Amino acid sequence: MFRPLVLAALLAFAVAPVAASAADKPTLTVYTYDAFAADWGPGPGLKQGFEKTCACTLDFVAADSSIGALRRVQLEGRTTRADIVLGLDTALAGTAEATGLFAPHGIDTTALKVPNGWSSPDFVPFDYGYFAFVYDKTKLADPPHSFKDLAGADGLTIVIEDPRSATPGLGLVLWIEAAYGDKAPSVWSGLAPHVVTVTPDWSSAYDLFLKGEADMVLSYTTSPAYHLVEEQNDRYAAAAFDEGHYLQVEIAGILQSSPHKDLAGKFLAYLVSPEAQALIPHTNWMYPVADGPVPDGFAGLVAPDPVLLLPDAEVAAHSGDWIAEALDALAGK
Amino acid sequence: MPLPANSRRLWPGALVAFAIAGLIAALLALIWSARGLGTAGPHPPDIAHLLRMTALQAGLTTGLSLVAGIVLAWALNRLRFAGRRTLVALLSASLVTPGIVVAIGVLAVWGRAGWINAGLAPFGLSTGPVFGLGGILYAHLLLDATYAAAVLLPRLDTLPATRLRLGRSLGLAPLRRFALIDWPALRPALPGLAAVIFLLAFTSFPIVLILGGGPANQTLEVAIYAAVRRDFDLGAAVALALVQLAACALLVLPTALFAPAAIATSAGRTAFWPEPRPFAALAIVLLALALFAFGLPLAAVLSALPAIAGLFGQPAFWQATVTSLAVATPSAFVTLVFAYLVASARTAAGSRLLKGLIAAPASAYLAVPGVTLALGFFLLARDLSIPVSTAAPLVLVLANTLLALPFALSILTPGLAALDRRHARTIAGLRLSVARRLWAIEAPALAREIGLVLAMGFCFSLGDLSVIALFGTEDFQTLPWLMNRAMGAYRSNDAAALAALLLLLSVAAFLALPPLAERAARARA
Repeated sequence: MFRPLVLAALLAFAVAPVAASAADKPTLTVYTYDAFAADWGPGPGLKQGFEKTCACTLDFVAADSSIGALRRVQLEGRTTRADIVLGLDTALAGTAEATGLFAPHGIDTTALKVPNGWSSPDFVPFDYGYFAFVYDKTKLADPPHSFKDLAGADGLTIVIEDPRSATPGLGLVLWIEAAYGDKAPSVWSGLAPHVVTVTPDWSSAYDLFLKGEADMVLSYTTSPAYHLVEEQNDRYAAAAFDEGHYLQVEIAGILQSSPHKDLAGKFLAYLVSPEAQALIPHTNWMYPVADGPVPDGFAGLVAPDPVLLLPDAEVAAHSGDWIAEALDALAGK
Repeated sequence: MPLPANSRRLWPGALVAFAIAGLIAALLALIWSARGLGTAGPHPPDIAHLLRMTALQAGLTTGLSLVAGIVLAWALNRLRFAGRRTLVALLSASLVTPGIVVAIGVLAVWGRAGWINAGLAPFGLSTGPVFGLGGILYAHLLLDATYAAAVLLPRLDTLPATRLRLGRSLGLAPLRRFALIDWPALRPALPGLAAVIFLLAFTSFPIVLILGGGPANQTLEVAIYAAVRRDFDLGAAVALALVQLAACALLVLPTALFAPAAIATSAGRTAFWPEPRPFAALAIVLLALALFAFGLPLAAVLSALPAIAGLFGQPAFWQATVTSLAVATPSAFVTLVFAYLVASARTAAGSRLLKGLIAAPASAYLAVPGVTLALGFFLLARDLSIPVSTAAPLVLVLANTLLALPFALSILTPGLAALDRRHARTIAGLRLSVARRLWAIEAPALAREIGLVLAMGFCFSLGDLSVIALFGTEDFQTLPWLMNRAMGAYRSNDAAALAALLLLLSVAAFLALPPLAERAARARA
């Protein structure tokens, strides 16, 4: 009786993924976060578009997060198959640059539409968005319009992400730091009683919010567009804050170790071309960096004023301290 | 009466145990030597605070789980009803339910917008927030109290009929009966059980993160996660992992040394001695309460299953299903082999010290943080120049086999030890070889336990999230990986359906494998 089971087990093991056969064409490997590479993300469309002209195979390898993709390259060292890391953001740019793993991209990014003119010799910006608290209009008639409002709103609950593991969580730390500087710890103390929970990643936070566990969730100004366009649902909105909103620019960089730097450069140039940028808004739900059509749902979104952004070097130097302050406030210390 | 040490039974298991200890040491050493790849984080976490909070939470979880587990086992032992067998199988299944699935279920029932509050709303009532220490304890109880009941119930169900007859003829009152007959059977299992539950709670991760409500309730495991994933401070990660290992070892080693193997085996029909009416009624009420508290969240998860049909059109879904089953099936068999070898070595070992030394590495694996292990395996694969896609299935099987091992041991060891006592003379007289002994005596007598161990090994790999987080790629996707990705892409309905499917597969394994193994044994006999 056991013998057929053992056989079945061995057979099952044998059909587990078989490596794809190598082709003559070069393969360009891009490490990115999971949602970017997913069937419903920008990955498949970009692959189709780029492979039409590049005489190569474009291969997206998904890590669980963008920082996961960077860590993976660091772990793999020189043996990495990655040519490009795509999906890091401005808050991590300083850290990523300090690893010395990235090579200059040599692409002229001056024509790209990035707020505050963010640019870097090593990284090409390919989309952007702003952190914001998202709420359900049918349940919250009078949303707060500043961190002070939020702190004073009786019984208002929010769910946020852990700054140590999720980029929006880190974004909130930088947002409050950029807006309040030295007074940031007291702002955090004001927020703490409203925080129902701190999740490890953006998706669990957003999921809790959608299930009704909190009145607001830390997300992006563009989140409501997803519901509007994909679900024809106009219940959700982002609360405009008087302090302004912190900018997140998503960036991609070529690895020093890549044997295909030219090809990698061509892909980055394609990534910021109008053709590729047209895919971004309705697959990644972020703003494109090139002119082009955006879904109707983007029209009514919150326009941040002012746009907040701290210098990369300052973020890299101090984010550890700022995170510690925020966590202490949340833990009631 | 211990057997004279049988070296042919002792060595294979001892080798497995020492190989595990060596593996843990090697993985930690690899990370330590790779710390140059990372950065030195500016903020060493407050270890004393973390230890205090973690120990408090784990201590409460352990105490409550044991009490609830005993109550549940008592109630089930005193009642006979249709579906009892299924319910008992479900108790063991809840242990392997991925933490994230439990958290989803708890929120669906007790959350602000959950079933309970939806029912209370018309009356202007609501429960308090589920986040915080209370939420963590509840979710842990759901997993650990049911596990405790699954371990303890067989001890009550297999009490010798003669003992029960004697007690009955003496007219023991319910409380005296518990104290004189039940408690002595339960007590030997408690230290080992407490150690396992404490370890589970101490290293709990997704539940603490999701239901904990924030940094105030965080555990060491979370700090390790942060050190590895964000700060990439590998030195700190190893240091924290060692603190966790040391704290857990302080508890595990004594229990591994002193928790004696008990008498319970599944052989023989169970005798039934019902309680007088008021106590029978109490048992029914307690069982109903437990079913309500523990069953409802799982029912809430399962209620999302119909949405799985929406995934049938996606090739990735079928690929992930095949991969998940292809990895979980060998895990089941490898777990069984390891557990059998270690359990027989432990049984064959002459001294308590040796028994403890053999069992400790298997439990120590529980104390090593999953994120650290996955990282260690990753570095190992790199140093051996094994491509990630080749290493992924092997690591997933190995890592999860080792995670399942402590539970598999707690299932298999008591039965093996009891057989040893009962058949020591026969075996010695017949000069049975190790293989004959397994085939002729142990496999038929322990068929049900073997089925449970297979289910355990199967489910741990099936639900794995920590290895796949580092090793998952486009070419190697499993169902939990797909679930995580769906959650990360506004596809929470898909994620819920996948969670339901995972739960269903786990339950099915626990319901199907033990009777299947028993039937196989009977067919051969």
